[in-house]
Amino acid sequence: MVVESRDLREVIREEPLRRREILKAVADGPRTVPEIAGLIGCPTHEVMYWVMGMRKYGYLAESSEADDEGLFHYRALERLTP
Amino acid sequence: MDYDVLVIGSGIGGMESALKLGDMGYRVLVVEKEASVGGKMILLSKVFPTLDCASCISTPKMAATIHHPNITVRTYAEVERIQRRQDGTFSVSIRQNPRFVDEAACTGCQLCEQACTVAVPDQFNADLVSRRAAYIPFPQAVPKKAVIERPGTSPCTFDCPAGIKAHGYVSLARSGEYEKAFNLVLESTPLVGSLGRACFAPCEDGCSRGSLEGPVPIRRIKRFVADTHYQSELPLGVEPGSTTGKRVAIVGSGPAGLTAAWQLRLLGHEVKIYEAGPVAGGALGLTIPNYRLPSEVVAEDVGNVTAIGVEIELNHRVTDLGELSDRGFDAVLVATGTPRSGRLGVEGEELPQVVPSLDFLETSKLGRGMDVSGKRVVVVGGGNVAIDAARSARRLGALAVTEVCLEGRSEMPAFDWEVDEALAEGVQLEDGWGIARVQGQDRVEGIELKRCTAVFDALGRFHPTYDESARQSIACDLVVVAIGMGPDTESFAPLLDRRGNGTLAVDPGTLQSRVPKIFACGDVVDGATMITTAVGQGRRAAHMIDHFLNSQAFDPEEFNLLLPRVEAQDVLRRQKTHSRKDALGSGKELVLDPRDFHEIEAPLSEAEVHYSAGRCLDCGVCSECHECVNVCPADAIHLDMRPEKVETEVAAVVVSTGFKLFPADLKPQYGFGRFKNVITGMQMDRLLAPTRPFNTVLRPGDGKVPERIAYVMCTGSRDQTVGNPLCSRICCMYSIKQNQLIMGALPLADVTVFTIDVRTAGKGYDEFYVQAEAMGTTFIKGRIAEIRELDNGDLVLRYEDIEHGGEIREAEFDLVVLAVGVQPNLDTRQLFGAGELQHDPYYYVEEVDEDLNPGQTSIEGVFVAGAASGAKDIPESILHAGAAVAQAAAHVEALRVRS
Repeated sequence: MVVESRDLREVIREEPLRRREILKAVADGPRTVPEIAGLIGCPTHEVMYWVMGMRKYGYLAESSEADDEGLFHYRALERLTP
Repeated sequence: MDYDVLVIGSGIGGMESALKLGDMGYRVLVVEKEASVGGKMILLSKVFPTLDCASCISTPKMAATIHHPNITVRTYAEVERIQRRQDGTFSVSIRQNPRFVDEAACTGCQLCEQACTVAVPDQFNADLVSRRAAYIPFPQAVPKKAVIERPGTSPCTFDCPAGIKAHGYVSLARSGEYEKAFNLVLESTPLVGSLGRACFAPCEDGCSRGSLEGPVPIRRIKRFVADTHYQSELPLGVEPGSTTGKRVAIVGSGPAGLTAAWQLRLLGHEVKIYEAGPVAGGALGLTIPNYRLPSEVVAEDVGNVTAIGVEIELNHRVTDLGELSDRGFDAVLVATGTPRSGRLGVEGEELPQVVPSLDFLETSKLGRGMDVSGKRVVVVGGGNVAIDAARSARRLGALAVTEVCLEGRSEMPAFDWEVDEALAEGVQLEDGWGIARVQGQDRVEGIELKRCTAVFDALGRFHPTYDESARQSIACDLVVVAIGMGPDTESFAPLLDRRGNGTLAVDPGTLQSRVPKIFACGDVVDGATMITTAVGQGRRAAHMIDHFLNSQAFDPEEFNLLLPRVEAQDVLRRQKTHSRKDALGSGKELVLDPRDFHEIEAPLSEAEVHYSAGRCLDCGVCSECHECVNVCPADAIHLDMRPEKVETEVAAVVVSTGFKLFPADLKPQYGFGRFKNVITGMQMDRLLAPTRPFNTVLRPGDGKVPERIAYVMCTGSRDQTVGNPLCSRICCMYSIKQNQLIMGALPLADVTVFTIDVRTAGKGYDEFYVQAEAMGTTFIKGRIAEIRELDNGDLVLRYEDIEHGGEIREAEFDLVVLAVGVQPNLDTRQLFGAGELQHDPYYYVEEVDEDLNPGQTSIEGVFVAGAASGAKDIPESILHAGAAVAQAAAHVEALRVRS
């Protein structure tokens, strides 16, 4: 299904809001972006922004290889600071 | 002359210009509007055709530019105006934007960025990922110093009279950091729970979201963080400052007095409060009814103050301020509020059943409420206190409650919603009536009213007039008078100046009285105001007293000096669309004829706080949550920095402002901005760069590694439909570069390039093209008519296959890259007076003698370097900069000879 796009700024602004949901989604093990999107009930392309933001700031890290579908799995990191 | 040459812009053309001039011995000023030098080149993956790492060859030039002894660099600054003077030199006006970070102290550790609570698109990663409001532009930034994006103060924060960082605690609550949100409010006042309930919330009146579906419930979020803290039994995360040995007495424990005590104690002073009443809190503890503000909440807030060592002596009325001085206090603050109720001045007022509203409310709040059950109560007044009294009477069991006021319904000074709620609870309103007399001999039997024809005179002064012939009587047993409140200051008169209405006359900025060590603030100075306003005055008083105690000069203009307010229309314009996020209801359960003082407003649930804080639009970008301040190990964050105007003189100017990229959404048939897996060439360069936003080349739509990648050439160039007939010169080559890098990063990927033709003019360029083809890139001669998005995010390209008979074909891809073209940077049009700096028909800076004197502009002494005069690749920009600076140097020498 083609999903209507929200304004990029609005999507990115929600990253701090979605952080806990995403960390909860990967609490039981690494997940792909589409899997996380399914678990938290949000569009995959929006989750991609949040996951990549969380990866950039040390909340998540990816698996070393993509799976057979070309997707990486993201896991929670112990964030040291601040 | 301050500098020989001004170089505007620090991309590769600007850096090269500055370095060459600096090496020649000229004094150069570089002005760069971004927070780092480097321009676009530093953001690229590699350069063509050598495939050298762009970072590796850029960063030495960036560092050399910054550290060159003859070059001064102003980053995060803008040239506002340049004027050529008669002697051929130039005067230059520069705006130095504040970083809010001390560059000398900042170590680039990025802890501020990690702690920041506001996420915005990262322009240095072509919007593929977020950055923070506090940020270092990119990993190789020079200087590698943080900057905080603050276009102004968020309306909610700007409009708070108490100086509370409302946007800050909302953004912390959005991140689930409730305790930090509580502590942020504590920076201003200890009355977190009270303000979370009883504040009139001017923050919400100004909320930009209010012009969409309704404001963010900012006050109720504050209540939530206060309740969460008080229920958690966490220790107070605040400690008094180091002891100064100074002692301050505060007379009165209302919002102003408590806030001042709190602030002074945090500054290390010893503080004692003298309170005339039996409980602390002033109006909070004595007169605001429990259904609005429970006494337990006030007690928790007061507990914050005593927890840090402030002593409060209750039932102690101070009548002699001089005595406090004798007791060794170094300063005294009078914050006694307005404890006196106004009088009607009519016949019958002396009857025992005519009571002042404050007495009525106080006995009710303290649990010693008058027995009004079965009685008919008339409350006189149209303000919020009158509403409180009327609703309290309802709860105390009155048979009927009628509120009488001079004003018509729409003129009543009470908040509209308060009046509505009172009516919903069964209070009768008789608006537009004055009091003629109170009826009865030994006891009240009724009240006679006369029609009020006007409340104010022609000058807007309070001056009620009546139609004496229009009268009515209301039978009643009790009259509560709520027609204004005044101060009780007679006993202070020998020492302090008083105004006609009894308020104390102090300096409005410093709050100091004519006795230097005595200050006054809050309602005793301003007359009856709002709690939040009194809190703000308490903060100001503490600040001034601290200056007094430390023998520092007062700085009334500096206190709580905010950046200009960000206006809602500017906030809303940042987004093309706003999705609908409805406001929550009031949370109030109103019943007719209530019979208890239970709080009427329900608390927000955590989910509601989360949802509501998520509606915040981050108007000021930085929320002033102070997390960066708290974590910075170098104390480098200075939110009090302000823009600076810099005036300077130079002998010559080099304009090297570079180019802009074509906004791909102007070709709607390609779907950029709508289709998740259509990206620009710059975005692909970021995906391929070592400092890329994703872990590898992934589709932005779902994070999948793409296997079929298409390039659409000439997006926005050689295209009359978008007004740009020019070839952008770099798109073919950067696309071919990316093709080769993709095949290195994703060996299984198929890359197809749709092109009109491939232009590879340059040394080794055609060989580079042939190499890409040999590696497997497919080049199809054909222009794309449209792109469609499939449900799985894949994309169908419809094109005319020119080399195969012009047949219309369709092909499916995982990812589409639009090879966007180059556009002029129109910023150059603002630099000089109208028409002085000429531009060519395509809006690039015109080179008036391009063939023989490249770089020369229409203004003698002004030269253009690099892509500001037209699309150029990196080697061409460097060569062009060399030509421009040679002429700039010649111009400087000519001026020297002339002078």
